[in-house]
Amino acid sequence: MLAAPGTIFFIVFFVVPLASLFLLSLDKPSLGNASVQWMFDFRNFERFFGRAIYYEAALRSAGLAALVSLIALILGYPLAFLIAKTTNVRRNTTLMILVLSAMQLDMVIRLFGLMVLMGDVGLINGFFRWSGLIGDQPLPLMYNFAGVVVGLVQFSLPFMVLSLVGVIQGINPALEEAARSLGATRSQTFWKVTIPMSMPGILAGLLLVFAISFSSYVVPTLMGGWTVVVLPIHIFQQVVELGKWQFGAAIAVVMFAISFIVMMIYQRAAVRASGGRV
Amino acid sequence: MAKGQVKVRRERSVPVIMRVLAIVSLVLLLAPVVVVILAGLNSGDHLTFPPDGLSLRWVVAFFRSGAFLPAYLFSLLLALCTMFFSTILGTMIALVLARNEFPGKQMARAFFMAPLMLPGIVLGLALYLFYLSSGLGLTRTMPGLVIGHVLVTCPYVIGTVNASLVGFDKSYEEAARSLGAGPLKTFRIITLPIISPGIIAGSVFSFIVSFGQFDVSLFLTPPDYNPLPIALYSSLRYTFEPTAAAAGIFAIFLVVVSMLITARLTNLRKLANVNFS
Repeated sequence: MLAAPGTIFFIVFFVVPLASLFLLSLDKPSLGNASVQWMFDFRNFERFFGRAIYYEAALRSAGLAALVSLIALILGYPLAFLIAKTTNVRRNTTLMILVLSAMQLDMVIRLFGLMVLMGDVGLINGFFRWSGLIGDQPLPLMYNFAGVVVGLVQFSLPFMVLSLVGVIQGINPALEEAARSLGATRSQTFWKVTIPMSMPGILAGLLLVFAISFSSYVVPTLMGGWTVVVLPIHIFQQVVELGKWQFGAAIAVVMFAISFIVMMIYQRAAVRASGGRV
Repeated sequence: MAKGQVKVRRERSVPVIMRVLAIVSLVLLLAPVVVVILAGLNSGDHLTFPPDGLSLRWVVAFFRSGAFLPAYLFSLLLALCTMFFSTILGTMIALVLARNEFPGKQMARAFFMAPLMLPGIVLGLALYLFYLSSGLGLTRTMPGLVIGHVLVTCPYVIGTVNASLVGFDKSYEEAARSLGAGPLKTFRIITLPIISPGIIAGSVFSFIVSFGQFDVSLFLTPPDYNPLPIALYSSLRYTFEPTAAAAGIFAIFLVVVSMLITARLTNLRKLANVNFS
């Protein structure tokens, strides 16, 4: 009884729209027509996998997301480690609030800040020019692949940190102390005890960061200046600029499938990370 | 005293390289936010290095802006509507999930959490095409947009309310019932006080997630009303308007206040759990 309104809402506005997205992706292309014509074949998917511009975008999206996950791990693990080892309650809470606020702040606002920092006439180039380190030629920090990577790492870093903090906190300090008292150096203890014990969190963080940076639209468009074409950009172009809704739906289904697989593995990793409890 | 020494030793146990990397990631997280605040309070036409000085001219410009102030207010209204519906729907779902045992319960929970896992742009597109073809008249309307936002924020309410029900002792409700309280009264005087920190934390989260939502809004935004993220995005594609940064300052303020409230509540919840266990 109590669950009825929620269940009906989710079926009408979640299950049905997703199901029609799937049907539409298999339907005959029809310009500016979003209703299902029931003429199914695989031509939209054949087009996607048959043309380099599309499958290369899929590979680019996946490669970008993989690179971002790795960098987010290298930067996020130390921060998570520091938060987990901070026993001062006030400092710990402050760090957590900073990470959470950075995560919850609208990405477009954060991108505004990044673009003012990294643009050709931005603060970083301005500083270098002012200090005489570079001439009139600005460093190309933005509107390229590297700019998109920096933007996506900024976007996804809090998710990595939050996936790791709990796991690192849960490691029994007695294990690390035991390794030390048996003669292991600090770095040996870290690589042979701490890192293996944090593996479930590392895996969960990598997958989560992969999934969210894979599906980001704002970061590649603003930081890449339309030079780094990823799958969400193709979806937007097909749907809004060209009115090819069936093909746009097909690209969305490919994205859905990739994220779905990643998320399934993530859930397993997350269950392991929480010690079998969901 | 001995306890204090242990603390000091543990904090020092973070090696230097780790500290340096941790500071790099904190800077990467916070520098853009600081830059937005500075750009909004800057006195020159653009934030440059070295900066010109501080002034409130762009904050004043924001309050007179025909683009950003309406967008900010529209986002507030949208987030409030979203919060209202998400909190009610999410709390009801969480109560059912947490207090009943039924076959397929794990599946049901995964189902209601699924919108979080789905790329926002895919969900937005699915809803957009569904609105277009169903003839419900929701295409690019406020109700259509709210529906999209409720889908992505509901999981947060379900999560927080569910967490506040962990270890909930049903015997309190049974005691109230056996003493003659009706089901509604039992809910009001027993269940609601226990889960209210979870409900408030969940509604704060749904408010703030809706306020900063871009991906789902992209295909669903009404033509004449832009939520703030969409309005900022449109202006950022061409120029860096300091007025946009001033709008950003007010958004940052909202987020920080919300997170402080949530932090308070999670502590309260721990206290509540201790008292009830």
